[in-house]
Amino acid sequence: MIEFCDVSLVYPNGVEALSNVSLKAAHGEFVFIVGPSGSGKSSLLKLIYRELLPTKGKVIVAGQDITKLPNKSVPYLRRRIGVVFQDFKLLPNKTVWENLAFVLRVTSVPKKEMGQRICEALKLVGILDRADSKPLELSGGEQQRASIARALVNNPPILIADEPTGNLDPETSLGIIQTLADINEERGTTVIVATHDNQVVDRLMRRVIALDCGRIVRDQESSTYHVTQPESLCQSELAQY
Amino acid sequence: MNLRNIEYLIQEAFVGIWRNGVASLASLSTIALSMAVLGGLALLIAGSHRFVETQLANFEIMAFTSQKASEQDAIKIAESIKKIPLAQSVEVLPRDKEWENLKKKLSSNIDLAGIDNNPLPYAISVRAKDSRRLEELAQKIRGVAGVDDVVTRDQTYGHVLAIADLVKILGISAVIVLSIITAFIIGNAIRLTLFARRHEIQIMQLVGATNWFIKAPLIIEGIVLGALGAVIAAGIVTAGSDYVAHYVLTRFPLMMRNISSGITLQAFISTLVCTGALIGAIGSFFSARRFLKF
Repeated sequence: MIEFCDVSLVYPNGVEALSNVSLKAAHGEFVFIVGPSGSGKSSLLKLIYRELLPTKGKVIVAGQDITKLPNKSVPYLRRRIGVVFQDFKLLPNKTVWENLAFVLRVTSVPKKEMGQRICEALKLVGILDRADSKPLELSGGEQQRASIARALVNNPPILIADEPTGNLDPETSLGIIQTLADINEERGTTVIVATHDNQVVDRLMRRVIALDCGRIVRDQESSTYHVTQPESLCQSELAQY
Repeated sequence: MNLRNIEYLIQEAFVGIWRNGVASLASLSTIALSMAVLGGLALLIAGSHRFVETQLANFEIMAFTSQKASEQDAIKIAESIKKIPLAQSVEVLPRDKEWENLKKKLSSNIDLAGIDNNPLPYAISVRAKDSRRLEELAQKIRGVAGVDDVVTRDQTYGHVLAIADLVKILGISAVIVLSIITAFIIGNAIRLTLFARRHEIQIMQLVGATNWFIKAPLIIEGIVLGALGAVIAAGIVTAGSDYVAHYVLTRFPLMMRNISSGITLQAFISTLVCTGALIGAIGSFFSARRFLKF
């Protein structure tokens, strides 16, 4: 579904955000990208939805090398990727319903389909009763749920979340991450979450790709935030004693 | 883009103006003032141009027959001159009246009482359809059979022509320069409006809106603000020019006959509104590009 082939990214100011990154995420997979601030997590996500172009290497999304995608085709790529941000990025002047309707209008979804799709998305994230509220009338958790609903309303096969729990308390964070896990399981959506929140990573125990200074330092299935030794190794080590 | 989308985009443009009230008001006042300066200058230049052109149109060519020519001959010659496409009005001047006038004029210096017969040839006054092609017309009249001499007031005509050309060139240059400056000012004002909405634009891009879907309401907004600003500007200029006209009329009553710009109020307002809308559209288009990465 998503593949990075030897990708490097150097910003115009000379900062190397990513260095020779190669990874693959299969369709329907749930992947955590972890690492400290400045490790390249957000840059990696931005390459997936073509907010940035790599300095070197290929980024393949749904079988298509998006580094070669003409600019005019970028909007159509983005319609297949839902993006969730730490700061929610909801339109403050529009209600939750209007925020979702806006995405459907942009993508020319027929009016009669709109209501049904918005209801489904809001129900899935559990804020159908807040549809008529404006973002500032919602709690942080509700705003993030609205933002997830907006990312989902187009039924994208890929969902990207950049620090989705960064502004939320631990309890709300766990609720949000569980919602993302439910979406992954129920809809088969490929979910990529960049975070430095160890609690949410440890709760789900999914694949973890750890970045440090723009390099992949760990890629482990069913992992926690911090390094977990494979069981076999632990046993062999124990056997030595 | 279907009809529902077009309706939505127009609606979004008006909602955008309303929701970003302060920024819209700032743009509107900047546009109104810039357009008022541009409109005022254009009106002033049109007035000056018309004044000089009127002076130019007053120049005439005098064609003279030979002294032997009869009135019938003069009329025939006038008919021939009328056939020249450039000639507008052709008139055989009454020879006797001209002679009386001349006698009166010269009476203090020369005594013409002894001359009984009118020695003047018939004079034919000719005005050109295009006052800038007076010399070309004079050449053609010289070729008409029976015309003995052709006189144009070369020197004065040359000066007025030079002034007319200068007014035209200066006027057009000033309007072009001021239009460009106005477009920049309006572009910047619109950019401020867009800056207030940069997050909205960013979100639109992230959810997969095409550039035209984002740009269209912004351009419509620019057109509406440009046209509204121009209407206000037209009001300012009209009221201002009425005041100036009243001032000039009371102090220089004779000048007023020729100082009108010759532009009707409807033509002035519609030109200003169209210009405002066009500048608004262009300003929005280029400002929007800055906020759209591709």
